[in-house]
Amino acid sequence: MNADWTGDPDQLLEADEQRREVARRFRDTQVPMMKLWTYYYGLGGDADEMSFDAYLNEALHLPASQVGLIATAMRELSAGEDL
Amino acid sequence: MTGSDGQPFRDPDGLPLEAAELSLQQLVLESPDIKAFLTELAILASTRLSGPGNTIHSGVTVLRHKRPQAVAASDAAARALDELQNGFGQGPCLTALRQGTTLLVPDLSAEDRWRPYIRTAAANGVSSILAVPLDLAGEAEAVLNLYSGRSNGFSGEDVATVESFAAQAASSLRLILRISQLREARNDLTAAMQSRTVIDMAVGAIMAQNRCDRDTAFSILTRASSTRNIKLRDVAATVITSISGEERITAYFDE
Repeated sequence: MNADWTGDPDQLLEADEQRREVARRFRDTQVPMMKLWTYYYGLGGDADEMSFDAYLNEALHLPASQVGLIATAMRELSAGEDL
Repeated sequence: MTGSDGQPFRDPDGLPLEAAELSLQQLVLESPDIKAFLTELAILASTRLSGPGNTIHSGVTVLRHKRPQAVAASDAAARALDELQNGFGQGPCLTALRQGTTLLVPDLSAEDRWRPYIRTAAANGVSSILAVPLDLAGEAEAVLNLYSGRSNGFSGEDVATVESFAAQAASSLRLILRISQLREARNDLTAAMQSRTVIDMAVGAIMAQNRCDRDTAFSILTRASSTRNIKLRDVAATVITSISGEERITAYFDE
């Protein structure tokens, strides 16, 4: 599950927690995965759709910079949502 | 990429999949093309089935966020009847929608199910109801509702006619949904290309000015965006404008 992680084990726990929170927020929004990925790509995101999907399903870790962009993408997209 | 059991990664509750379906239902409700198509379907069904002394009112209800919404109708009476049923949250059309099967109520005065709705509908002059769901292959849920002022207002032949109508309409609707979805995806990608170009340029500019790496430049931009509560793309555009005076940066690519 965390075979992709090469950093400090304490940071891993923190990253796991952060990822759980992002995944939870993703489930709460009505935004489809591809729409979110496209928006994230538009912000300069580098992860491909597969890795992105895996991250949102808590199956893969991404670099902190990418995680920040996913959070930004979610915030900006749900701000424009009229649901 | 697949999970250990060979299935694509999905939330155990299936929520991401559901989110995608919701957006399709949103499409059914918001696209003027689809609305016009459903209105035509309702009018066609009503003219085809209406006979002397037996006017058929017809409407279409779509399920959104698990809540039904009347989207198209042959006339005001049909829309009012659909909305009435949706207001009660129960009735033959909603049951047909949920079960995915045709439902015929030949005589409202002999019906014991959905009492509050049936009573109100009868008071509004309805005597028989036919509900036929549109099979949209899980992409959205819709039902064609027909109301008659006569008991036994729908013959066996009528039911077969409406079912074949509904099947044909559903296959066209599936195609319309698919096309609308692709068009939306293309528009999103175009917007992403424009946005990415502006942001990449701004990041490069910050790297040059601050003599920093890409990640640092990115976080400077992100911080500016979140503290001022301005979209990242707009902050990036401001950065470029402040350096070069250029107002409009566009990415060119063949569509």
